Amino acid sequence: MEVFEKRQDGICILGLLGRLDSNTSPEFEKKIFEVIDDGTKSVVVDFASLDYISSAGLRVLLKAAKELKRSEGKIVLCSMKDYIKEVFEIAGFVSLFPITSSVGDAVKEF
Amino acid sequence: MIADRVSLELRNSLSELDTLGQILQQFGEELGLANKTLFQICLAMEEIVSNIISYGYTDDDVHWIKIALSYDKGIITIRLEDDGIPFNPLWAQEPDCECPLEKRKVGKLGIHLCKKVMDDMIYERFGNKNVLTLRKDIKDS
Repeated sequence: MEVFEKRQDGICILGLLGRLDSNTSPEFEKKIFEVIDDGTKSVVVDFASLDYISSAGLRVLLKAAKELKRSEGKIVLCSMKDYIKEVFEIAGFVSLFPITSSVGDAVKEF
Repeated sequence: MIADRVSLELRNSLSELDTLGQILQQFGEELGLANKTLFQICLAMEEIVSNIISYGYTDDDVHWIKIALSYDKGIITIRLEDDGIPFNPLWAQEPDCECPLEKRKVGKLGIHLCKKVMDDMIYERFGNKNVLTLRKDIKDS
């Protein structure tokens, strides 16, 4: 898995490429917490190039969302494949995260 | 000829999940599975196998997890056998998927996801083995 970082108007956009599973989630956890610990309050995670997610990936996103909420920040997810969105629905995560269909719409959430 | 039956053994190490993923990918491609179906099977398998590896053993020894995949008449059947501590995932506590962000627990989601994406899940205990059988109906996918 690879994580691409981009900054736009104070918003950090993290693009995920590949698989977010038990083996790759620790790397993503490290990256997103570096961003949060640096004081970033607005985070977008772009799922356009993500092919796979398991509960290990969901766990990192939940942890990050909790941390951002504590610091009055916010995380928005975007561009998920339908079968990945379904996992968020089954996990009851759609009520916890704003999910948009594009990066452009995600940025408007802040 | 399509390989509609695959057997493998994995060591109790999370790095084995990559091997599992590759074998499932190949199995799915040979059967011509839809992306979504293959994804759901990979997800269910990762959740169960990572759970066995992470929580199934009380010693530091090498253990083997036996997996058999088969396809017959529109149904994919997966049988997993391990010699870890007795654990029936059907009895695992369901996560509370309704509560707000502050109260949501980090964890316990894996087995819930597995149950939801598969059509059937049967647990049996034979001697010192846990045997879990998962089924997925792919006739409509």
